[in-house]
Amino acid sequence: MTTFLETNRRSLTRAAYAVLAILVLLWLGPLILEQRPARLIGSTITGLLVGGIYSLIALGIVVINKASGVFNFAHGWMMLLGGLLFYSFFASGSVSPLAAGVLAALTVIMVITTAGWGALRSPRSLALGAVAIVVLTVLLSLSGAEWQFIRAIAGAVAGSVLVGLVVERFTIRPLIGQPLFAMVLMTLAISRALNGITQLIWGSVEIPLQVFSWVGNLGLPMPIRFDARDTLGGIILIRTELLFAFALALVAFVAFVLFFQFTNVGLAMRAAAEDQRLAQSVGLRVRIILAVAWAIAALLATAAGVLQGGATSLSLNMPLLALLAFPAVLLGGLESITGALVGGIVIGLVQEWANLLFPGTQAGTELAPYVVLMAVLVIRPDGLFGQKRIERV
Amino acid sequence: MKKIALFVVLATLLTMLALPAVAQDAGLPDFIQHTECQVDLTGQTIPIYHLGDLSGSYAFITQPLIAGLGDAIKFFNEHGGVCGATLKSDVGTEYRDTGGKREEAQAAYDNFSSLNPKPDLMVLYASADAELLRSQVAEDEIPVIISAGSVAGLYGEDAQSPGWIYATNPLYADQLGSFCNFVADNPERFPNPTIGYISWPGAFGEAAYTPETISYCASKGVTILDTPEYFLPTATDISTNVLNLVDAGANILYTNSLASGPFLIAKTIVDLGLQNEVQLAGVNWALDTSVGLLSRTAINPDNGLPAVNGLIGSLPFYWWTERQQPGIAFINQQAEANQRTLSSRNIAYLLGWSIVDMYIEIYTQTVNRVGSLEAVTGADIKQTIESMKYSPLGLFNFDYQGGAIRALPDNRIAQMAFLNKAQNGPATSGDDALTVDLPDGTKAFVPLLIPLTPFSPAPDLRPGGADVP
Amino acid sequence: MSANIRPSGVFDVSYAQDISLNRTRTDKIIANGLFVLLLLVPLLTVEGPLGLNLLPQTWIGLMIRIAIFVIAVQGLNILVGYTGQISLGHAAFVAVGGYTGAVLARQLGFSFWAALPAAALFTGVVGLVFGLPSLRVKGFYLAMATLAAQFIIPWLLRYPLTPWTNGSRPLEVPPPTLGPLSFASENAMFYIVVPLSVFLMLAARNMIRTRFGRALISIRDNDLAAEQLGINVFSYKLQAFFISALYAGIAGALLAFHDNSLSLDKFSLGLSIEFLAMLVIGGAGFPLGPLFGVSFVILLTQDIIPNRLLPLFGSVLPTLLPFIDPVNITSSLSPLLFGLILVIFLILAPRGLAYRWEIFKIAWKIRPYSH
Repeated sequence: MTTFLETNRRSLTRAAYAVLAILVLLWLGPLILEQRPARLIGSTITGLLVGGIYSLIALGIVVINKASGVFNFAHGWMMLLGGLLFYSFFASGSVSPLAAGVLAALTVIMVITTAGWGALRSPRSLALGAVAIVVLTVLLSLSGAEWQFIRAIAGAVAGSVLVGLVVERFTIRPLIGQPLFAMVLMTLAISRALNGITQLIWGSVEIPLQVFSWVGNLGLPMPIRFDARDTLGGIILIRTELLFAFALALVAFVAFVLFFQFTNVGLAMRAAAEDQRLAQSVGLRVRIILAVAWAIAALLATAAGVLQGGATSLSLNMPLLALLAFPAVLLGGLESITGALVGGIVIGLVQEWANLLFPGTQAGTELAPYVVLMAVLVIRPDGLFGQKRIERV
Repeated sequence: MKKIALFVVLATLLTMLALPAVAQDAGLPDFIQHTECQVDLTGQTIPIYHLGDLSGSYAFITQPLIAGLGDAIKFFNEHGGVCGATLKSDVGTEYRDTGGKREEAQAAYDNFSSLNPKPDLMVLYASADAELLRSQVAEDEIPVIISAGSVAGLYGEDAQSPGWIYATNPLYADQLGSFCNFVADNPERFPNPTIGYISWPGAFGEAAYTPETISYCASKGVTILDTPEYFLPTATDISTNVLNLVDAGANILYTNSLASGPFLIAKTIVDLGLQNEVQLAGVNWALDTSVGLLSRTAINPDNGLPAVNGLIGSLPFYWWTERQQPGIAFINQQAEANQRTLSSRNIAYLLGWSIVDMYIEIYTQTVNRVGSLEAVTGADIKQTIESMKYSPLGLFNFDYQGGAIRALPDNRIAQMAFLNKAQNGPATSGDDALTVDLPDGTKAFVPLLIPLTPFSPAPDLRPGGADVP
Repeated sequence: MSANIRPSGVFDVSYAQDISLNRTRTDKIIANGLFVLLLLVPLLTVEGPLGLNLLPQTWIGLMIRIAIFVIAVQGLNILVGYTGQISLGHAAFVAVGGYTGAVLARQLGFSFWAALPAAALFTGVVGLVFGLPSLRVKGFYLAMATLAAQFIIPWLLRYPLTPWTNGSRPLEVPPPTLGPLSFASENAMFYIVVPLSVFLMLAARNMIRTRFGRALISIRDNDLAAEQLGINVFSYKLQAFFISALYAGIAGALLAFHDNSLSLDKFSLGLSIEFLAMLVIGGAGFPLGPLFGVSFVILLTQDIIPNRLLPLFGSVLPTLLPFIDPVNITSSLSPLLFGLILVIFLILAPRGLAYRWEIFKIAWKIRPYSH
């Protein structure tokens, strides 16, 4: 008996999974068939679109994890901070040249000193820096509504790169070589500090970010609505701003995938994630890699913050959204970029379907993603696309 | 360098010490009638202790409360204080931010309740905090004033034991009950009414959905669906939740949420094109400036008025736009003088002023009876509250005589609309709506709350309450 | 850690002495003396029987809170610090302990003394269930399996179990009694909570002197090597989950009976993360770590920041930064200060306070020679 179990372990496990899958289908099948087609289509679309934002958030968390093996708890606050930076440059008609100059100078100084403060003594990098400061200041102080987007994008990029680099330089870098726990906890400390900073500057905010109003000006309907009550038994709603947020999230996604696959820095980041000491010993500059990773993560967070702020509003609730993306990260696999995309979308879909199939049970937002996550982890312990670890003694 | 820094710090400290010396007494406006003082308390301090969420998801509504309390304390201290005693509420020592975390609230309360001398009156904001601390304030004999009225917080698990907490709003369950009365009284507007309950999860969001409100409303011919939908404040899209209720037959959606909650539901209804089929209604917090301010994205001259135009809710006190009421006119003037932004001119700013005014009256009466401030205990304050009838700045009646009732019994139903440019009535289109320029350069629409009913007693819908069928 | 460093002139003459907690008579006297002093603390406050008012009453509340949290964090230490299994769901286990204790006391009429161990055992079993994925899942993925506990358990307590738990509404819990004695007051509760906490600290300290504790540590250091050495890794991991949840259950039940009410909102993911923060600040893997970490965080967030730093900064900053709304300053200070202090702390002591303490002890023992 035992030998039978031993020799056929793999097929037996598969059989067990198959039986379980059939049981789940038998349970959910009737519930799905009861639904009107319009509701199924509507929830699927919504789940997909909401999942796009989760994917973008998950990608930001994955980037940090790939470079340093740390799970970033501060990502949610980086989203809100980035969104608010964008808002500040977007909403105000003009920015004082002094503020623009200070932001530009700080950002450029942090960028050129990424490898070390010594860069401040080299004339070449100083000259480059001065040019960059001037260009950035001019971009930031463009006044008038027609320059709104340019100004806001420049401001948000500069601001979030600054935040990412400052966080890395002053909090993460001193911890290289220390226990991983300390670094994870550091991200927690950063999230508290960022919480305080956003409150200090912007107060208790609840600001709908009007980044998608141009969609309406283009003549596109907001929202796109199919009233199919006669044919499919319901209304199918596609929120235009969510659709654009989803599309932009995909674009950001593709850009970063290309970055990781084809640039030296991207490849180096993947190496550093594998083993910091080993990477250092083959000549990779772990410090720079970490700095780049944090800058990219801050940019991704800002992108997610702006898109989410445009779809709903910038509020102190937004950081909690990053918690909802946690299962997306793990579902896909901590190291996998494709995983972040698939994970985010799967979580979005699971939430919406659970809301649809079990009305009144509140199973959607909190329960269903975690049940699915547990199931996936038991079947595939490294997530859907995670690397299978080969461990040695 | 160090010397310069030291000098700067010293100079700052000195200026700070010198500033409060120039206080003046110009007499209170006549509509504020406090009891005559029989004891002089000059030189003493009365702390206003409070704790709640200032940096979490409710910060949007609680920060104006701090602004209101601060402005009111400053004003009343300059006008004689409490029989000469100054009111005081500083961050850390008198009030604490809990970030919306219950564990933090518990810790902050433990700290305040073990102070020596023990607080004899406190202020809380959240239903969940009240429910958590209910038995503890009773044990420590500290009366509490709160704005939120949840059954469990005020009357305990059996709903029959009034404790030490007094609300300045009607119970959430009673508010839904009085909304059902309004619906039942207007059959031409609400034929065949079916309410879908949609809110945030948690003690506050779920507070109005009780078996008693369901059976009371059913007795009035108003159905409340038994599949409530709850969504997180972070939700991006709630069309599935809204459609679940609409598919189940709801033509009224009722929400016990605030700020982004009612706004998101309203926006979803408009997005679904259901604004003519579904009426949105909510708790008193839903009828607030924040909801109106949020709706400024939804407005688009082609689409007509913002999504929340027409939102119905409870309005158990006078509102900013009812300027014929002297208290309201006075607070408007004060908010102007203190340069308060539009977003802080909300319900909580009004409450902040009312609370300070009530503190003065409660302490004056208690000290008159007891003889000195040191001798005042929580039990004395409780006795005062249960024997007095007071209307802080004329905004609402704070009347707990007899002691059995812990929440305001009176309520009225009002509708949110937008002022027209002439400021003499609701706007009829988006172009007609009055906008104000915000400091950040954007425009906001000014919401107007139009009472639909006069003040009248709300049904008593505690478990076993007088009006439960 | 410091096992082989002795003050000069002290020699171990037996194995028992080598592994004993108090190696010398002085150690023993100091330890017992400290414990007695600790028990005397409530007598010196206003509400003590003598009404002495030598110590502020707020201390008692803070010490009880620290003692309860130490139990919870010690449980986490056994799982995370000793065994190396990350858990993000510890607050959910504390909730299970609290609700089990409360429901047993309210519905079934259990006394506190019976409800406490029952709650602990039940929580242990729940911990065991959520420990099962550790068979296959490791590292951050395991953290997420425990994160699932953090969401699934409160959902169960909030919706399906509403008849017993009151759902989102709080549950009132009667104070513990023993015959005619009631433990409703803080000072009385002190004598239940603090000795129990000390006992559980010692138990955790003892654990790493046993075969069991060494097995856990070997799993943490290298689970594959541990398996090669003949340690049943899965069984030990499950035992660690069980004991960890047992501690959480005790802490939860104590919290319920101390606060006299339970609310689900208390046991959020934030609390789980805070437990982890306390552990890392104190020093994961050190028996004294939880005491240091919990004391640091609780004193900082509940006394030093609100009572000392906030009034200071709250009065100075608005004058220094006149362009910022004072309301913004007051509401941003507590997260900002806590975040910044934690950042500085982690840079200075990334291995935790207990690690510093061990170094200090060694330095003291080998004085005056630094090497």
